[in-house]
Amino acid sequence: MRSERARHNKIIFSGTVGAGKSTAINALSDLPPVSTEALASDDTAKLKKTTTVAMDYGVLNLPDGEKVMLYGTPGQERFSFMWDILSEGGIGLVLLINNANTDPLSDLKGYLDAFKDFITGTAVTVGVTHMDRAETPGLDAYRAKLAELGYQPVPAVFRVDARSRDDVAMLVKALLYTLNPGLIDA
Amino acid sequence: MSRHTILPGQPLTALYLLHVGSMDARLIGLSVERHWKHTVHLANSLENGRVVLIDCDRPGVEAAFEQLAPHPRTGVVCYAFHPKDHALRFPNRVILGKPLNLEALPGILAKAAAESARIIAAPPRRVAPAPYKPPSAAAQPSEALPPLGHGLQTEDERDLCGVMDDLPATPTGPLPERLFFNPDEYLIGHLLRAIEQAASSGRPHLIAGLPRLIGVRPRPVPACITDFRDNQLRPLSMAQLPPTTARLIGASSLTSNGSETVSASEDFLWNVAAWAARGRLPEGTDPYKPVRLRAWPNFTKVFMSPHALRISALWVRTWASPVEIAARLGIPQRYVFSVFSSARFAGLLDNTPPVRPGAIPQPPASTSASPPSGSAATEPVTRQQAQRPSILSRILRKLLNAV
Repeated sequence: MRSERARHNKIIFSGTVGAGKSTAINALSDLPPVSTEALASDDTAKLKKTTTVAMDYGVLNLPDGEKVMLYGTPGQERFSFMWDILSEGGIGLVLLINNANTDPLSDLKGYLDAFKDFITGTAVTVGVTHMDRAETPGLDAYRAKLAELGYQPVPAVFRVDARSRDDVAMLVKALLYTLNPGLIDA
Repeated sequence: MSRHTILPGQPLTALYLLHVGSMDARLIGLSVERHWKHTVHLANSLENGRVVLIDCDRPGVEAAFEQLAPHPRTGVVCYAFHPKDHALRFPNRVILGKPLNLEALPGILAKAAAESARIIAAPPRRVAPAPYKPPSAAAQPSEALPPLGHGLQTEDERDLCGVMDDLPATPTGPLPERLFFNPDEYLIGHLLRAIEQAASSGRPHLIAGLPRLIGVRPRPVPACITDFRDNQLRPLSMAQLPPTTARLIGASSLTSNGSETVSASEDFLWNVAAWAARGRLPEGTDPYKPVRLRAWPNFTKVFMSPHALRISALWVRTWASPVEIAARLGIPQRYVFSVFSSARFAGLLDNTPPVRPGAIPQPPASTSASPPSGSAATEPVTRQQAQRPSILSRILRKLLNAV
């Protein structure tokens, strides 16, 4: 196991196309995030005009001058070769799932499988977006799916608005407490 | 005994609701009818009141104070969302924070009434008539009254988690009655029954008899619909409702007028239960019995008592009693009881005992947190690394300051 010091200070945001990864990083970052959004040219164009083709990059500036990098992976699976590279040495994974997609629970499984090794060594929290457009599946269905996939205890699953700094910060806070419930918050 | 407790033999306090909203008036009326009938009665006019209550957030508050000018012997208790702001407008007034602490209020009213009357009844001995002095200026020194409104965060914490002392670490005798609440006496009991009936019948249900709509629907996902605003729902959830106040009725559908809010039933139950519990446990709970959270609550939408994230993080991976969780985290038990009560009504509590109840896995001591397992660290989880805070702590502090 690597020490904290040896780790890179970075948190990984991943998830389906249109789930709000870029928006979430934008909401949380202290600096305008560097984005590699491009005009979508494939099926993604049906979902949104631009999509992330490499990665998003935001920064949390800590009071002591240290930085925590916020990396957003491209959502399209054809860029999945980048996921391992981006996540290497990360603190944990924030997974965003677009509930308005055709089969969001299958999306959840796909991403958990893809990041399985990374999650095993760290932790994951799940943000479900666009629940205002698609009420189902509900959070309990996500929890059941996670349990079915062997995630015990079941990771935190929150309904989030990726534009909300509060919501995104809550996902990260839950990630930190999952890693260590002994962190002092008050 | 609290310093605001009414002593035996103390006379009834005649309270006149000089300037309060209809919702508050109804809740206070219910409290008088249900709990305060031996301590407070509602006066039907300002002349008959010994103390008045004033909501400083309502328009026309200045006119309300003008009405008081001919009644210098009448005590005045104000309340507001931001008492400090109003303290500048109305100096030397007692201004409590919202929501009102209904347990403390009768004592505060009695004290304001008694002190106001006493000051006026014992004028200074001097020949020349004393200039008029508002009674409240002398009657209500801020240090003599409870700090209900001295800070919203502290006030929120006390109103929502109570002030209960911790239980012993192991059972030593009968548990104090004040540790428990009967959900059937609160909105949460009605709400839970409505959701259960909606689920079993497949039809929406309404809780009738309340000032505003609360409805539940079972599909497509269980949801609660209400046109109560949060600042109305909170005091309603905290108040004990007379048994005849609310009743459940089935409905073919829930029609929307566009002003309602729709919440997942789980989230709605969590909040209403937290407001009813106020750091207590539902009747019948054994605070020493190991339980577990089967899932994290939806913290982007639900009320968070202090340390709720830490409690949840530990309790989803640990079979432990509420008392034990508090000890492990080094926090007051009432915070854990709040989470317990909410989780129970939201259906997030797992009561099925583990195979080895005594075997409580510890959370990982480092940043590693493989989902399927916990490590066997033996240190209390509150034990922090010495010297420099970990990167996780520093990120957390950043987020807590930033959000």
